[in-house]
Amino acid sequence: MVKFKKLATVALTATVGAMFGATMQPQTAQAAPKAGGTLVWVSSQVPRHFNPAVQSGVATMAPGAQLFGFLVRADENWNIHPYLAESWTVSDDGLTVAFKLRKGAKFHDGQEITSADVAFSVATQQANHPFKTSLGAVERVETPDPMTAVFKLKQPHPALLLALSTALAPIIPKHVYGDGQDVKKHPRNVKDLVGSGPFLLKEYKKAQHVIMLKNPNFNSSDGPYLDRIIIKIIRDASARVIAMEKKEAQIFPYMVDSKDIRRLSKSKHIKITDKGYAAIGPVTWLAFNTKDGPTADVRVRQAIAYAIDRNFIINALHGGLSKPATGPIAPGSPFYNGDVETYDFDLDKAKALLDEAGLKPGSDGMRFKLEVDHIPAVPEQQKAIAEYLRPALKKVGIAVRVRNAPDFPTWAKRISGHQFQASMDIVFNWGDPVIGVHRTYLCNNIKKGVIWSNTQQYCNPKVDSILEMAGKETDMAKRVNLYGEFQRIVADDLPLYWINIMPQRTAYHMDLGNPPTSVWGVISPMDQTYWKKQPK
Amino acid sequence: MTDQVEPSAPAAPKLEPDFVPEVEKPWLQTWRMFAKNRAALFGLVLLSVIVGMAVLGPTLYPADPYDIVWAPQSPPGTEGFILGTDYLGRDLLAGIIYGSRATLIVGAAAALITIVIGILVGALAGYYRGWVEELLMRITEFFQVLPPLLLAMVLVLLFSPTLVTISIAIGVVSWTATARLARAEFLRIRELEYVKGARSIGARNSRIIWLVILPNAAPPLIVSAAFAVGIAILFEAGLSFLELNDPNIMSWGYMIGSNRPYVLESWWAVTFPGIAIFLTVLAVSLIGDGLNDALNPRLRQR
Repeated sequence: MVKFKKLATVALTATVGAMFGATMQPQTAQAAPKAGGTLVWVSSQVPRHFNPAVQSGVATMAPGAQLFGFLVRADENWNIHPYLAESWTVSDDGLTVAFKLRKGAKFHDGQEITSADVAFSVATQQANHPFKTSLGAVERVETPDPMTAVFKLKQPHPALLLALSTALAPIIPKHVYGDGQDVKKHPRNVKDLVGSGPFLLKEYKKAQHVIMLKNPNFNSSDGPYLDRIIIKIIRDASARVIAMEKKEAQIFPYMVDSKDIRRLSKSKHIKITDKGYAAIGPVTWLAFNTKDGPTADVRVRQAIAYAIDRNFIINALHGGLSKPATGPIAPGSPFYNGDVETYDFDLDKAKALLDEAGLKPGSDGMRFKLEVDHIPAVPEQQKAIAEYLRPALKKVGIAVRVRNAPDFPTWAKRISGHQFQASMDIVFNWGDPVIGVHRTYLCNNIKKGVIWSNTQQYCNPKVDSILEMAGKETDMAKRVNLYGEFQRIVADDLPLYWINIMPQRTAYHMDLGNPPTSVWGVISPMDQTYWKKQPK
Repeated sequence: MTDQVEPSAPAAPKLEPDFVPEVEKPWLQTWRMFAKNRAALFGLVLLSVIVGMAVLGPTLYPADPYDIVWAPQSPPGTEGFILGTDYLGRDLLAGIIYGSRATLIVGAAAALITIVIGILVGALAGYYRGWVEELLMRITEFFQVLPPLLLAMVLVLLFSPTLVTISIAIGVVSWTATARLARAEFLRIRELEYVKGARSIGARNSRIIWLVILPNAAPPLIVSAAFAVGIAILFEAGLSFLELNDPNIMSWGYMIGSNRPYVLESWWAVTFPGIAIFLTVLAVSLIGDGLNDALNPRLRQR
């Protein structure tokens, strides 16, 4: 009893995150990592290039995080640690953040990493990256001396360190990319790439493989340990699974299909973890057009939500591997508020709401037609749910027509052009709501032609003002309250119906030490990963 | 041939009764030849059953093939669902019954388009010869060198996939063989005596093409039409397999395509629609084969 009390006091005094961070560092629990060996990694995605400063998407970010360093890094409990920056100080008003760079840190070509490179990297990211909010609050980066970078902010940015802790903000060389060419199309995003991270780009064969070698001059006493990382790009889903089974590959991150996960979990030499995705927060949802058609009426949107059986989707379609989503923020986030209207399956409520909205059933029992789009990828999370909606919504008198898109651009054009009634979608939280959540709900982010902007065209001034406050609030408790209120309001307005959190798993060989399990998983550096016993 | 022999006037040659059985009506003769071929008869029976299922099935087995009726991936026989359920829990038997309609409609419509384009092009080229033939045959060759399934995919992608666009796409990519066949027949027949005769009494070109030559060129074209139906059904299945289909219309190809990722866990969901396609194409091919035998004058006397 005494022991228990003592534990509770410790938990109360220390912040929960710090406690876990101190006790659960994987390095402390295990023997010292060994150097050497090759890691073969399977991926479904084809990177266009490797510069994550100007390109989002895991295809670029995962190798990008190995090739480029960042100022700071995050562990698996959201704690921020030094990386290319040795230390940092935040001013009392939260408007100035000064980073002290690590001495002796060099780019792959031997040039020292200076504050000018940091300033250049931030400016490049701000000008070119599709996520405008991640570093949107940064007004400028001052460089009082080569080892000090001072971020001057327009407003406090509570997620600044998190945004700087991943491939969203790589440190790129000014002496390479500052030559006046468009960085988005810079030839050295692929060829003769000069990075700042623990691995060097050796070779990229388009749509086949990426070979990365250990950076021998990486100025760290702790890693990188692997000699080589080979990313094998395999487009066929079952071929990826077979490559893992046959030990031709030893790590398979971003597994999202429950069949693959079930199958690989039967292999004795493979371990499967759901760690490494906490900051991704991938929400599968049904988006509504809130301006046009029957779904402009909030009662219709609510009725559709009540008519969808989330449990069926999770258990029958996803083999119980996905988790329910009840709002815009994924349950893994510290800002998650589950105390909102969750629209649990209720056909009578759905019918009553439709009656109230004046949509009476016709002679065939149908009230109206609804066209549902879906992304032509991740079928279990998209097509299967869209197809489920047809029999499900028929029960309340909505005749669903599923509209296939032959390829991603076709789908993106329809949705971003607001030419849709309802669409399945998957959108990532990206760690902090400022980075990945705000964009879907702000009135001023209704941008025709931009996918994953506010394509629902939802606009509620109250939500706008809450998000604006939460975006610059630095007090954690106050932010939690603001986001709690935000989640309650949007759950009532229901511009989209959040269905589930997509299962994301990493399968890896059991002899692999320190698999990528930080909140950013493989989109953060794998310099700690090593072979306990090298597989033949 | 006649059983009765006239007792009186044996010297007077009675042409009429002797001749009537000899010039049996052509369609009757064809049927007699066709019926001799057991395999062709089997094909006909099979196709009749499938068409019967498409026409009457929904009345006998009223169900919405899209309804979720039981737990997903239930094996055949579960709770009275004799073919089991697919990955969403939809009744596979209902899917096969309702899907037969789309499959047969696409097969027939695409074959019709194939035949119409093919005959039109082949007839004009074979009859007029000269620059008309040059032009039409170059166009035919242009279509022949394009891989048909790829071209059909492009066409379906350009215009969103519906039954109409899929039928047109399949027809547009598969008419070339028919056109070449029709041209060869027209080239042969246009030089025959009766065509020359028709021309010499002043028949117009259109009359000669459609009323004189075409009926005589019909037998191989009918056979090719029968095969075109089978090919079109396979094409439809192939396009659906690649998800180039209308997901709101149940078809066998769609059933296979949408259940394909789950094949290791529920074999039945792809196997039964596959068998259905196999049987239909087999039936159509057997009929085509039988027609080939029955309509070929050289084989008639065997």
